[in-house]
Amino acid sequence: MNEFALGFSVAALVKGALTTLVVTFGASLVAIVLGLIAGLLRVSPLWPLRWFAIGYIEFFRGTSLLVQVYLLFFVLPIFGVALAPWTVAIFGIGMNVSAYGAELVRAAIQAVDRGQYEASIALNFPRLTMMRRIVLPQAVRIMLPPWGNLLIELLKSTSLIFFITITELTAASKLAADATGNYLLFFAVALFGYYVIARALITPVVRWLERRLSSGFVRQVLS
Amino acid sequence: MNEPRIRFENIAKRYGALTVLDNPDIPCNGKVMNEPMVRFENVTKRYGALTVLNELNLSIARNEKVCIIGPSGSGKTTVLRMLMTLERINGGVIWVDGEPLTHVQKGDRMVLASDRHLRRVRGKIGMVFQHFNLFPHMTALQNCMEAPVSVLGLPKKDAEARAAELLDMVGLSDKKNHFPIQLSGGQKQRVAIARALAMRPKVMLFDEVTSALDPELIGEVLSVIRTLGAEHDLTMLMVTHQMGFAKEFSDRVCFFYDGKIIEQGPPDQLLGNPQNERTRQFLSAVLEAK
Repeated sequence: MNEFALGFSVAALVKGALTTLVVTFGASLVAIVLGLIAGLLRVSPLWPLRWFAIGYIEFFRGTSLLVQVYLLFFVLPIFGVALAPWTVAIFGIGMNVSAYGAELVRAAIQAVDRGQYEASIALNFPRLTMMRRIVLPQAVRIMLPPWGNLLIELLKSTSLIFFITITELTAASKLAADATGNYLLFFAVALFGYYVIARALITPVVRWLERRLSSGFVRQVLS
Repeated sequence: MNEPRIRFENIAKRYGALTVLDNPDIPCNGKVMNEPMVRFENVTKRYGALTVLNELNLSIARNEKVCIIGPSGSGKTTVLRMLMTLERINGGVIWVDGEPLTHVQKGDRMVLASDRHLRRVRGKIGMVFQHFNLFPHMTALQNCMEAPVSVLGLPKKDAEARAAELLDMVGLSDKKNHFPIQLSGGQKQRVAIARALAMRPKVMLFDEVTSALDPELIGEVLSVIRTLGAEHDLTMLMVTHQMGFAKEFSDRVCFFYDGKIIEQGPPDQLLGNPQNERTRQFLSAVLEAK
């Protein structure tokens, strides 16, 4: 193997991994914030808000992520809105994943025991205070494990942003493999890279939050 | 009974077609009750085609302790849930402390009340549930502080003092930093009572509060309710299967059957010498089960 090609490839790989990390982090923030908002609107007693949330969720969940990213990147400029590739990557993936997240939020809110709502009404809580103080703290605990799944999914879907000119981990591995001819090594590195990012960054945060929010609940005997 | 100092004789008050007061000459416990604390007027509740309560009329005087008994499905829990606004009513008006609960007066018509009105009137009522419904993510003390702080706007320090005092009253000052999961059923229910009282309600509703408890834990909860009735000015409405407690504690027992009050009266009379055949059947079935 040519040493120059190897050195160049490793540098590109590191840069690609960093790109994946940054996009994952940014898109996760967007997904969590928008997912929470859309999920809360989805259970709103006001039908226009509810319908808006349903429309949002159906669109972003029901159509292809890659096509959505293409739309933002290639079609919006036709209407005079040219977004930087990084903006498209972070918001495109973030909004797509937020639609799945919104359904997790809705399911978790609806899984909170009915008695909790009734006790809140009996204690005269206004609806928003009830959501903030009583329902959400319990719902967040329920929705954490599936959110962990979703963010790992998000991490892996960042490979699509190669199609809008960003060289992330998968693309960098492919380029390195092409340049050096060592496909086994570089695809193994890419495979392992995603696993390490998920295992070292996403899972511990979710586990830590789960533990923090578990005071007052039965510790999972089975986990 | 002594001659009451104030006496209303055949006084009536109407708003349009609605009669608010109708001959309220009801001395109760030696006091004149000029206006009932809670009044159901022709209240109807339906679930689809099923009529659970049919034109219910029931007045409860200030500080009166009323027990509701009856077979399951007779609508007794629904009465409490409607009063707590957990169920929407399909007809009639519920009056609380002289105000309509779910309606407001507009001209001479009654229209559905705004959320603000509902919350103001609802603030006079507290409820304790069969399954406690404590907030699992908060300690006993936090359970009792949450609503006074975030609903009444009480400063944290005052709310904490109030909560601690109430937990002391129900005999749980040593458990105030425990989470609900760390408490027994009886202890949970006593926290739930303290939590409801922290909002300083005028009316307390107890919905089968001992039904989910092991037999040996029932006594501690009933004794808290007994103390509450003796020491505080509270109107109490209780759905219960504890006939012994109903007999010693209440001023009046109502027997519900099929969405109607079939018989009501002082506990000695209703439980000791029921007039209605249905009441007799129900009581003998309950006694047989013991």
